[in-house]
Amino acid sequence: MDVKTDKTIAEYFNENKKLEVQDNRPGKKIKIAILSNFTTKGIPEILNVKCNEQGIFSKIYNADYDQYSQEILNQNSKLYQFNPDLTILIIDLQKILGENFFFPYRLKKEERQKLINEKFREIANLINILSEKLNGKIVINNFLVPTYSPFGILENKTDYGFFEMIKSLNEKLGKKYLQNPKVWVFDFDSFASKHGKINIINSKMSYLAEIRIDMNLISKLCDEYIGYIKPFLSIIKKCLVLDLDNTLWGGIIGEDGVGGIKLGPDTPEGRAFVEFQKHILSLYEKGLILAINSKNNPGDALKVLKEHPNQILKQEHFASIKINWNDKISNMKEIADEINIGLDTFVFFDDDPVNREMVRKSLPEIFVPELPPDPSSYIFALQRLNEFNTLTITEEDKKKGELFTSQRKRKLFLESSSDLSQFLKDLDMSVEISKANQFTIPRIFQLIHKTNQFNMTTKRYSEEETKKFCNDKDHIVFCARVKDKFGDNGITCLVIIQKNQKNWKIDTFLLSCRIIGREIEKAILSFLIEQAKKEGIENIIGEFIPSDRNVPAKDFYKDNNFILESTNQGNQIWSLNIENINYKCPEFIKLNFIEN
Amino acid sequence: MDIEEKLKEIFAKVLSIKKSSVSDKSSMNNTSQWDSFNHLLLINEIEKEFGIEIKSSDINSIRDFASLKSAVENSLKK
Repeated sequence: MDVKTDKTIAEYFNENKKLEVQDNRPGKKIKIAILSNFTTKGIPEILNVKCNEQGIFSKIYNADYDQYSQEILNQNSKLYQFNPDLTILIIDLQKILGENFFFPYRLKKEERQKLINEKFREIANLINILSEKLNGKIVINNFLVPTYSPFGILENKTDYGFFEMIKSLNEKLGKKYLQNPKVWVFDFDSFASKHGKINIINSKMSYLAEIRIDMNLISKLCDEYIGYIKPFLSIIKKCLVLDLDNTLWGGIIGEDGVGGIKLGPDTPEGRAFVEFQKHILSLYEKGLILAINSKNNPGDALKVLKEHPNQILKQEHFASIKINWNDKISNMKEIADEINIGLDTFVFFDDDPVNREMVRKSLPEIFVPELPPDPSSYIFALQRLNEFNTLTITEEDKKKGELFTSQRKRKLFLESSSDLSQFLKDLDMSVEISKANQFTIPRIFQLIHKTNQFNMTTKRYSEEETKKFCNDKDHIVFCARVKDKFGDNGITCLVIIQKNQKNWKIDTFLLSCRIIGREIEKAILSFLIEQAKKEGIENIIGEFIPSDRNVPAKDFYKDNNFILESTNQGNQIWSLNIENINYKCPEFIKLNFIEN
Repeated sequence: MDIEEKLKEIFAKVLSIKKSSVSDKSSMNNTSQWDSFNHLLLINEIEKEFGIEIKSSDINSIRDFASLKSAVENSLKK
């Protein structure tokens, strides 16, 4: 997980044994199937332990040796009975190429191309069948591009040579599943390069037991799979909290001053910090939230952020800035409140091991990786984290930083307003509602999984299920973009309606937390009523399923004159007869329906 | 720690058995947990711990503690 030494294989096996007797563990559940054409013993055991380390309760089915095709093709196979949430397909190249692996040059160029096309079609066919039969995700390892060719230095001068054959197979695989949300091609070739291809196959173990990945690298391979498993289960770190002194620059600003800290091309340390900042900025640009938690005089530290010519991360990149002499623990809690996300989505970087340990002990939900003592290795520590993976990157994600800056401005504006209704009027809000389409689906899917507070039913649909709702005639999916005078909040509201002749049932109604408290939900409700009336609907039914996070939503139906029809184990059904109703959109909100 | 001690530690860890139960007489035939896969794990850990390589041709023939010990000692002498 961090720069400490990994467990030994024996230790993993022992831990796994203890886990296997536990029938019921807390945490998110996942069923994983592993299919391969070689001996994969070791992978399920180690993966199970690593899932447990992340608070995930995994059940793993390791298919019998070299049965991957049979398991996929046989409709009644144990694989389909197991019905995994994730299938990992690990195919060894040498075995599927057979003699052609040793004698690629017995084939002419066209024959080599034909061979690769054939192999690609076989694999794609298997994946298609798997994908149709199972709802879960599929991760397939791509193929190791060999490092040895009998042609030696001529290999690279050969048109569609041995290496190129395999590269093209990988390329076809990658291209085919580029847009497919279910199938993920794991770059095993890149993984092998990272650890040294000469270390990947232990020929002794391979000949003895058909173990085609060195046992010593299985743990690292499982780390990579965890990189997929976590975002599949929506376990995502969203915020990187940073210390300043000796973390973002060399030295202590309070003592060394702006001119004395090491940040820039003049010193080796300074160069390391600049590149470290650049790597963090690139993560910001894909949607990672940044915050500062530093013990300093605000004036001193902010001066660097505002004025230092080599400072890459500026004030506007940070969603929350806590530079003070308070303890770092209360700062963390304030940051979480301010940004309105859980502490369990935080990662904290601090050069001081005492601070790291203190945060780990007091706030165990925060992930605090070890930092190496030499700042030149900080980048390595950042890159090996594998904690910030998401399943999509939307335009909203990329603009997240701007969002926080405009949020800060809104907050200041609210604080300076004397009364709420005036504040709401002056915000100049507009809500644009439209039906979901292929462009908005990724964002909608994000909302379905991220929204906890103003969420009536907290139903977490998969991407496929979401698409189905958008396309079928018994459902309507509305999404809304909310703008105000400070900027565009993006698509921040979602309603999924299940309709029949007389009624519309609200299956999902959620608002992103950043737009709560402005009566936007009333604007949306007024729109729903208007639309429903146009279609001759008599009643709107609303469901409320309580969760530990959605208290802000619990009175919505009550406050809007719905009648409680039934309660079942806490779940409520409310209904509103709309035939003679006159429900107006709040005056200070401009509502538009964009028909597409 | 001498070779025998280290080896017993590895056995105890890999096979999840008590160090005290490991002796020269321990073999694949009489030690529970010492199956063919754990045998490979043992070899793997032994090679790592002592920085040696045990030949594949030897791996299947050394199936008791005493012969493993000699294999390690021979490798280290070289």
